[in-house]
Amino acid sequence: MKRYVALMAVLAMAVGLVGVAWAADVEVPLVIEKNRWQPDVVKVKAGVPFVLVITNKDKGPEELDMLSPRIEKVIPAGKTVRLKMPALKPGKYPFVGEYHSETAKATIVAE
Amino acid sequence: MGATFVITLREAFEAALILGIIYTYLEKVGARDGVRYLTRGGVLGLLASVGMGIAVSYLSGPLLDVGPDLITIAVIFAAVGLLTWHAWWMRQHARLIRGQVQNRIDEARSSNRLWAVGLIAFTAVFREGAETVLFLWGIVAQAGGAGWGSMVGGVAGIACAAALGWAIFRGGRRLSLHHFFPVTTIFIMLLAAGLFSTGIARLQGMGLLPLSEPLWNTSWLLRDGSITGGFLSGLVGYRSQPTLPELCAYLIYVVVVGLLLFVRRAPVTVGLASASRS
Repeated sequence: MKRYVALMAVLAMAVGLVGVAWAADVEVPLVIEKNRWQPDVVKVKAGVPFVLVITNKDKGPEELDMLSPRIEKVIPAGKTVRLKMPALKPGKYPFVGEYHSETAKATIVAE
Repeated sequence: MGATFVITLREAFEAALILGIIYTYLEKVGARDGVRYLTRGGVLGLLASVGMGIAVSYLSGPLLDVGPDLITIAVIFAAVGLLTWHAWWMRQHARLIRGQVQNRIDEARSSNRLWAVGLIAFTAVFREGAETVLFLWGIVAQAGGAGWGSMVGGVAGIACAAALGWAIFRGGRRLSLHHFFPVTTIFIMLLAAGLFSTGIARLQGMGLLPLSEPLWNTSWLLRDGSITGGFLSGLVGYRSQPTLPELCAYLIYVVVVGLLLFVRRAPVTVGLASASRS
């Protein structure tokens, strides 16, 4: 029993820490609508971690798929997902919506 | 239709490959119980995929933000561990058979381990399963005129992957035992190495490991998302833009596990042989 209490306490602390870390980062909005990313060029500050706040306005889910760094994130229909992004070096980071890769193309530009 | 076909084929291919190899293996060694475990594991993986697909659609907040990622990472590394274990097990077995000591599995020994075969099937199906379920669900949700064509493409992709798994099973059965074990052990080893480096890449993407630049970019030659790229990714862990940690993870895995599997250690063979004779 004690062990479970300790485990729960550790978990609660971990969730709390994650929450604090989440809240501290700069938020960058991103929307998927009609199977296209808006905006399709996302400018961020290089060297600083940030949070992509992605809202899916479509009726179906979408998956953000980036090859470098390797990131895959499903955004269910009608939901908003906060995706913590690592600090990026200056450069261009293209990504697609895997489920509609013909139309859902965009790039993060770190400057 | 074509695009959805490629996506589901790519997602289901790896699971079909793993299941095809292990079904053949179990059939070859006459472990009928294992076949049941494998099928159950696969079905449970499918159910869990549907469950996860539904859960993700209803979750929100931090659970939705990090929950699926943590599960993905856990499943990837569990799959690496299980596949490594399976390759090792097959290897031990191949030694027994080669030594003509005993050509059937020791039931008592194996039954303790067969649940792990079920786990392999579970992780193989579940890893990409939830994503595929969400994808197909999305197609249905957005179904207009073109939606149904896409749905047909998606289902055809899965069917095609299953057919490939079946082909491996049929072909594998004809392969002599002498060739079957080393070939499939190498397949599984490379597949697990690819998974291991994927796991490292995902940890980097989540910011849990430091980021690094890709060492090269061969996407002009072969894109990760194409059919061939997807096959090679599933088979040998192809990446168009690997980073140094990914490459190191791959090489270290291949070297360490390769040594573990392919360097002869006579005493182990003797030990297992005498155990299975008793």
